[in-house]
Amino acid sequence: MTYCNFQSQDEGRHLRKQARLEAVAAQMRLAVEAAPNGMVMIDERGTITMVNAQLERMFGYDRREMLGQPIELLLPERYRGAHPGQRTAFFHSPEARAMGHGRDLFARRKDGTEFPVEVGLNPADTPDGRYVLAAVIDITARKRMEAELARVHSDLREHARTLEATVAERTAHLQQTIAELETVSYSLSHDLRGPLRTIQGFSQIVLADAGDRLRPEEKELLAKSINAAHRLDRLIQDVLAYTKVSRQNVVLTTVPLEALVRQIIDERPEFQPPRAELVIESPLAPVRGHEASLTQVITNLLDNAVKFVPPGRLPRIRIRTEPEGTMVRLWFEDNGIGIAPEAQDRLFAIFQRVHDEKTYPGTGIGLAIVRKAVERMGGSVRVESQPGQGSRFCVRLPRAEVS
Amino acid sequence: MSDAPIILQVEDREEDVYLLQRALQRANLSATVHVATDGQDAIDYLAGHGRYADRRQFPLPYLVLLDLKLPLVMGLDVLGWVRSQPALRRLIIIVLSSSIHEADVQRAYELGANAFLVKPSDMNTLADMCQALKHFWLTYNQPPARPKRRD
Repeated sequence: MTYCNFQSQDEGRHLRKQARLEAVAAQMRLAVEAAPNGMVMIDERGTITMVNAQLERMFGYDRREMLGQPIELLLPERYRGAHPGQRTAFFHSPEARAMGHGRDLFARRKDGTEFPVEVGLNPADTPDGRYVLAAVIDITARKRMEAELARVHSDLREHARTLEATVAERTAHLQQTIAELETVSYSLSHDLRGPLRTIQGFSQIVLADAGDRLRPEEKELLAKSINAAHRLDRLIQDVLAYTKVSRQNVVLTTVPLEALVRQIIDERPEFQPPRAELVIESPLAPVRGHEASLTQVITNLLDNAVKFVPPGRLPRIRIRTEPEGTMVRLWFEDNGIGIAPEAQDRLFAIFQRVHDEKTYPGTGIGLAIVRKAVERMGGSVRVESQPGQGSRFCVRLPRAEVS
Repeated sequence: MSDAPIILQVEDREEDVYLLQRALQRANLSATVHVATDGQDAIDYLAGHGRYADRRQFPLPYLVLLDLKLPLVMGLDVLGWVRSQPALRRLIIIVLSSSIHEADVQRAYELGANAFLVKPSDMNTLADMCQALKHFWLTYNQPPARPKRRD
């Protein structure tokens, strides 16, 4: 061990002191020497009595230059004046604590440069008197990181501000677009349907008033005009229904599904014998949904189920529910013409028709409304089908909480 | 003619006036229909202003069929004005509009409409509607007391 290497004028006194301390401090010194922090010990007068290798590296002094010197050697000059008083106070009421009470501390290297430090103070009483062991950590890297972090935070805040501004701007733009779309849809409702009423109504009046005098082809032409106007009016109404399910405020409540399905069937002769056979596998599980939207969904699916059957076949539809975790699957299984797998992808898109218009008239919006409405209620819809083997539509909706 | 109920139709589209006339015929509803062609015209009629000053020629109607999208003063504003007039507060007002907008329906009822009918594109449906109008409003319904005539 080459720790003791005193060359000072007080060498003799130091050696004696060292010898007395040795027994108490030998183990501590071993630990201190190997510590990753800079360690310095001072006596009651503020004289450095011990340093470790890390402190030498930190301050650029050889330990011989430090031992026996006042601890103020390691302080920036501007702190040196006040320090002896502070350290005397500490010696009188010592406790293990961090130095500086939260202030930023700086140390001074041999070359005069300063660096930020954190200092822990530990009093150590020995037979030879009271000493203080200080652990010194160079926190330059940490300070740099803190500064960097602060900069990143500030950048982030700036980004957030920019983002908020962008979002506000885009939202305003979007709201304007929506307002414009609403104007268009309002105009669709009022201004497009007016001329259609004229075309259809006047043609019907002519057909009724002058039908006797018209040749069959002429009557046929009028009938086609009436039909075309009627189809266009359906289309407008369906587009409006689609925009309505897209826009309207959907508040979910518990919907007694079975009562709702029965009510829909009761109100429509085309869902009843002799025109169709609808079987409900009672009971249907209650769901969380928006009743008006759900009514539209069920009506549209049943409309399709009774419509898309081969000519002459009685539509048979089975309605049942099954649990699926926190969801409920509502199935509509029909005996209709079925849907080719390649057509199933576009089945739920707006304006898509997958069967010929003559046999199966429609606007191609019904299932788009179904999907939009179901999605707005937090659910989903899909189909399983093969041509000629009927279709199974599955609507998934949140299960109603059992009270 | 004099015993036939008076209907004020507020409608700017000539074609719709004609369609209603034909539908009323089909429903065998004999009424005297006065037509106001915009919102201001309707207010003038009901207030007895200007050319409508003579109540014998332009009596207060038994009911009003009110379109919503009108030139000058919109239907909903006519409705609001009517309900603000003490003499007209109880007048039966039936909205007959193209609109299938939820907001229009809600607003019309809030302002005091008695019913809201959506104009059908099909003549037969319109005739059915007139039939229902005849039965419900002109036959079974007990109308409010009429304001005193000033003649």
